[in-house]
Amino acid sequence: MIEVKNVSKFFSQKKALDEVSLSIEAGRIFGLIGPNGAGKTTLIRILNQIIEPSSGQVLIGGIPLNPLHVKAFGYLPEERGLYREMKVLDHLIFLASIRGLNLQDAQKAAGHWLEKFEIQPWSKKRIDSLSKGMAQKVQFIGSILHDPQVVILDEPLSGFDPLNIQLILNEIKAMKEAGKTVVFSTHNMNSVDEICDEVGLINHGKLVAHDKVSALKTQYKTGAFKVRYKGNQIAFANALWTGFEIVSTEEIGDQWFQSVIRSRQGQSFNDVFSSLSTAIELQLIEEQLLGMQDVFLKLVTDSTP
Amino acid sequence: MRNSMLIASRELKERWDNRSFRAMLFLGPLLIISLIYLVLESGNQGVTSMKVLIADPTNLFENKIASRPSESVTYYFYDDYIEFESFKNSPKFKEFDALIEINEKVLINKKVFLFHRQEPNLHLKMKLKFEVERRMEEVMIEQFTTLGVDDFRKIKQPLNIDFRNVDDPYNQADQGIAWVGYSLGYLMIFFIAIFGTNITKSINREKINRISEVILASVKGRELMLGKIFGNLIASFLQLFIWLLLVGIGLWVLQAFVIPELFTPEHLSGVQVSDQQLKDLGMQTISQENNNLDLIYHRINYLWVLPNFILFFLGTYWIFASFFTIMGAMSGDESDGQQFLIPIWILLTLTIFAGYNTLSYPDSGLTQFFSVFPWTSGMVSMIKITVGVTVTEYLGILFAWLIQVLVGTMMMLMAARIFKHGILSYSHRLSVKLFFDWLKK
Repeated sequence: MIEVKNVSKFFSQKKALDEVSLSIEAGRIFGLIGPNGAGKTTLIRILNQIIEPSSGQVLIGGIPLNPLHVKAFGYLPEERGLYREMKVLDHLIFLASIRGLNLQDAQKAAGHWLEKFEIQPWSKKRIDSLSKGMAQKVQFIGSILHDPQVVILDEPLSGFDPLNIQLILNEIKAMKEAGKTVVFSTHNMNSVDEICDEVGLINHGKLVAHDKVSALKTQYKTGAFKVRYKGNQIAFANALWTGFEIVSTEEIGDQWFQSVIRSRQGQSFNDVFSSLSTAIELQLIEEQLLGMQDVFLKLVTDSTP
Repeated sequence: MRNSMLIASRELKERWDNRSFRAMLFLGPLLIISLIYLVLESGNQGVTSMKVLIADPTNLFENKIASRPSESVTYYFYDDYIEFESFKNSPKFKEFDALIEINEKVLINKKVFLFHRQEPNLHLKMKLKFEVERRMEEVMIEQFTTLGVDDFRKIKQPLNIDFRNVDDPYNQADQGIAWVGYSLGYLMIFFIAIFGTNITKSINREKINRISEVILASVKGRELMLGKIFGNLIASFLQLFIWLLLVGIGLWVLQAFVIPELFTPEHLSGVQVSDQQLKDLGMQTISQENNNLDLIYHRINYLWVLPNFILFFLGTYWIFASFFTIMGAMSGDESDGQQFLIPIWILLTLTIFAGYNTLSYPDSGLTQFFSVFPWTSGMVSMIKITVGVTVTEYLGILFAWLIQVLVGTMMMLMAARIFKHGILSYSHRLSVKLFFDWLKK
């Protein structure tokens, strides 16, 4: 478990982080989100011991973060880089070595991952001869090669094509299944939606939201429901009492319709169901929650002074 | 330390993988040896044998000149005047390579002209000069004195006044050896400049390609910094060692196989000449070269000089490396790095000047200052050590080295602070304020 306790960081006069406290359970995927310049990278650098907090502390399993934890962390920074003049395998072995692996283990691990990401044939090539996508795979492999318990990924999907995005997301899910903790910083809210268990949103150096993804979405209910039914539209409208308004209706087949309705007084899913179930043949009722993109925008707007 | 060594070995490997580094390992010594060969051979150009016609209308030489026949020169006598133009153009004289004019004025003005079609080489020039002069001496002795040839030559020897230092009455600390010390110091500065620049470039490159953040998540900033410094140090030592080794082998090959005749007095083909005669003959260069060869092959105590060279190389590298590191860490982009190298180049130039000053004025106040000033003490110490020092003087030199290492360590601590912040800063604008901000943090 990672615990960040009252962590602040100053750069000269500027406060980059302001009393940030959060905890991340082991084996979870934690989405660290926020607008540019909010303080995410500063927090990530503190977690990676690249910089020290001005105040506060970070605990890993109850123990203050210290150099012994380096081996347990894997890090893919947003401003990622490679030794372009090195060969792929040499580069990976070097990264694994400075994370504590011996040569033999480093070679073995590099071979495994290169195979898995289908870039084994390029292992002896110089990195500057790789395509952008392959170079990014090498970067990703470099961050997880030493089998860390905590993996911190800052914008890991940027620059990847959809196929490779899925490949990376699958790997992240696999890490979770293997019991690893993943801190996942991104601006891609669809991926947050897809893989994160929890989200922490930082804005202006402060942690302004920290909850499960579903909880955050629920927090911003729209009161809208999508209803798919068979029957006649008049019966549908009559069944809805005055607490609802019909936003839109679309005929999707013979006597089949799909409508979006919005409650006026915070009615629940059950209220919608009980109102409609006797009047028409229901196929689907789905509460319309905001996507993470909208939740993000609302959270940022609400927390910006 | 393990991490620093890993980084150092990566830096070394990066240097090694660089084709120009590998090429210069062998090209450098080859160029040096070629240069030495050219210098040695420069005086040995021109034709090696001649048919020489001596125009002696007054029969001064009595058709005699060399005491024994030689393959390189054949003399012919002509008992009339020959105009220079006639010798040049007349078919009659075409077979002769050179004309020596011995007229009646020779005994008064002691001037003989030799007109050649092609320039003789140095050895041949010397042989011609010597044999004509020798014959002329015999004529003069016969005509003007009652002395024997040997007595005349004793009188003829010029008086030499040799200037010597009272502290060095036997002139052991001669300029030649001092120049060897200076050359070693120069070599040291040369390598420090090259590999120090590599430190700056390497830091710049890691900033530009953003790898530094990945590395810093695994190692501490000072480990990364020291790894770079050690890696470049090893690379410079490797190159230096290979250069010295190959130059040594090259010199041996030159001596043994290529120009063995230049390494022995016998290269003058049995001609006995005085130093003064050599100088008069323009043989100063070759004589000097022989001195240098004598220095290189016999007079330098390598077992004493080389360990001290390594010691002062390390000290000087240490103090300059901190500067190169600061420059790399401070720079926002590559052009900054180049601009910021200017102050270091000025310091390096000062070191070269300090060496030259030590050669010219070994006891001056300025030399004393340079001998303890941490950036120049390595160079001055190399000259002093090569020339020879007493135990007390050597202790003084070691003390200067200690000052160098201590100041270097302080500079390195400062560099570590700058590096810690600078390595993660990209594309920033340089300012003095930024420097002090990073230093204070």
